[in-house]
Amino acid sequence: MRTSFNGSRSDPGGVVYARATIDLASRDVRIEDVPCRNLEDVLGGFGRSFQILAERTITHAFTPDNPLIVNTGILTASNVMTGLRTYFSAYSPLKVSNKGLPSAIWSAGSCKFGPKLKWTGLDEMILEGRADAPLYLVIRHSEQGPLITFEPADDLLGLTCHEKIMWLRDRYTDAHFAAIGPAGERYEDCYMAAVALSTENQLRSGDDKCRWAGRGGMGAVMGYKRVIAIVAQAPDRIAKLKPEIRDINKAASTGPGSRKFREKDKGGLGGTWSNYEPLEKFHFVPQNNFRPTGDGKPELMFRDHVQPEFVVKAESCFRCGINCHKNVYEKNADGTRGAFLAKFDYEPVNLLSTNIAIHDPRKAATLISLVDRLGMDNISLGTTISYVMDYNERHPDAPILNGATFGDFDKARELVEGAATGRFPEVGRGVKRLSESLGETGYAMHCKGMEFPAYQPDTNPGYPWAIAGGHMSMATYMALALEGNTSLEYWAKLITERGLLFVRDDLLGLCKFAGVTADHAVEGLKHEIGFEVTSAELLASVRRAFVRALWLERKQGYDRSDYTLPSEVFDRPNPNLGVPPFVTREFFSQLSDRVWAVFDREIDEIGKA
Amino acid sequence: MPRIRFTNLFAERIGGVSSVDVPAVTVESSLRALSDRYPTLAPLVWAKDGALNPVMVLFLNDRQLGVAEIGTPVGPGDEIDIVSALEGG
Repeated sequence: MRTSFNGSRSDPGGVVYARATIDLASRDVRIEDVPCRNLEDVLGGFGRSFQILAERTITHAFTPDNPLIVNTGILTASNVMTGLRTYFSAYSPLKVSNKGLPSAIWSAGSCKFGPKLKWTGLDEMILEGRADAPLYLVIRHSEQGPLITFEPADDLLGLTCHEKIMWLRDRYTDAHFAAIGPAGERYEDCYMAAVALSTENQLRSGDDKCRWAGRGGMGAVMGYKRVIAIVAQAPDRIAKLKPEIRDINKAASTGPGSRKFREKDKGGLGGTWSNYEPLEKFHFVPQNNFRPTGDGKPELMFRDHVQPEFVVKAESCFRCGINCHKNVYEKNADGTRGAFLAKFDYEPVNLLSTNIAIHDPRKAATLISLVDRLGMDNISLGTTISYVMDYNERHPDAPILNGATFGDFDKARELVEGAATGRFPEVGRGVKRLSESLGETGYAMHCKGMEFPAYQPDTNPGYPWAIAGGHMSMATYMALALEGNTSLEYWAKLITERGLLFVRDDLLGLCKFAGVTADHAVEGLKHEIGFEVTSAELLASVRRAFVRALWLERKQGYDRSDYTLPSEVFDRPNPNLGVPPFVTREFFSQLSDRVWAVFDREIDEIGKA
Repeated sequence: MPRIRFTNLFAERIGGVSSVDVPAVTVESSLRALSDRYPTLAPLVWAKDGALNPVMVLFLNDRQLGVAEIGTPVGPGDEIDIVSALEGG
């Protein structure tokens, strides 16, 4: 990315980014400088990629016309802490309208692949078409500009994500890697395949510590295209740290915005895993397919309960001072750290333990690690498995698949393996399709084909308006516990005003965990890029990007029937929740009216533009 | 005056302001002064019974406070952080 302002430093046209368009079938590569058309183009991430996707007419995710866009945010590879994001965008095999059309989605992952890609000289790659044989792409920095080569991937096929990355590490120095796992290779059977991104810690330690672009099946799209991995090889190009950026980073690493994710001995609360305790106060921790029982079992996965048996070490992405990774290791007899087991975040821990009634941290670690190795989104998979178990509990005389029921670890492991290897494509294709095929959709925990993260839908009527996963793209999932407000006015305003701004960092290239303020983001743009924008302009651009995503959903056939919750939320209120049920059909219908009264107008404006 | 610092959860409700100085002598009176100045923050800071919102955690000069320590005296230069115990992503 380079800037060439002719007057105002706020002119998007003064920012030019480097794009490689790669035709996988012909192996033609076109590298060009593209001037930005608007502020979303400048900021990057899904703000830019969704404008590209909007120009396409795609009726099936697995078609050569569906591009896989790999891009960065404007602050990726900058000195602003957590400027590490890589975005994968495409029409999703998993997120589909009731009319059966795929919907645009992005998925973001951290660590050093994004910076390395940028240091090759590229801000964006558009992977077009489909290769005639499995390959991996090598993007190299050179004095003449980025060099892109195609290498046969035969030696990588069948390896786990981690094994692929280790194989590549041994052959490419000063590089980082994106790779799919066995699940992505079997994309026809596993729509929830993810993309693994290598980490510094992983390359150094040899431990399986990938980061993930997990949601929406971007690994499946990559697998369809027969791109097994991407290598970004370039020397680090870290600019001198300016005092203004040092201040921003200090605020991010020591201020209140990241306290939740820091360790207790660093003035923090211990990471997302620690959501268990406050949520359990309200019996909001999902159990047995999002049906909390109030039996206190979630406490068995509290960090304080788990920690004595293991060593929990807080580790980090490249140059990040937050240390949000809560990595669980075996504890040796002398108390020292043994083998790495798994990274414990609230969502995978819950969905692969408490929500399937497996209240055992060692078994949870086994499942999390297995899902990672095979290369799947643990949220989509965990929520689909809990549906299978729920179905089998309700139909003891006619169970499906391997007959798994709540608490059966061995069968849960079979379902994980089977989702990735083609034994259980019904699982790998997600809960929307599975539940529709069975004719029991009322307790299939998803909206628009995106399985719910580990937050109760009966506490979050904002889920349907999330555009890329319920806890990444609509900040309503904890609102009930935070404020206890069940009024229509509150929820309509939350969804249409504050909740959608949660996607700001999905343009900028930053991690949400840094808690960077809007003012600091603006300062970062000014001092790192030389681009000047006000906070209000930044947030207006984020809002346009969000509304454009809604417009894209409408383009793919979404209508009011897609924007709803599983029917059991309305029809079978859970008396065990710590608050009276409020998401009734009447409430939700009125909420929808209010939300669409705001969004419809803006969607129309985006459509005209 | 003590300073209260908060996350985007708070800042986004009051025009992006991420810290405020308040004339107060205890942590609790600081928070009362905050919610008096910015009533839209009151539902985040206080529970319906008037106690501290049970989802919020307080830090005073980097030390986490227990619920019973909300009456801790504060003075000029002290920094109070109010943070949600719930965040994901």
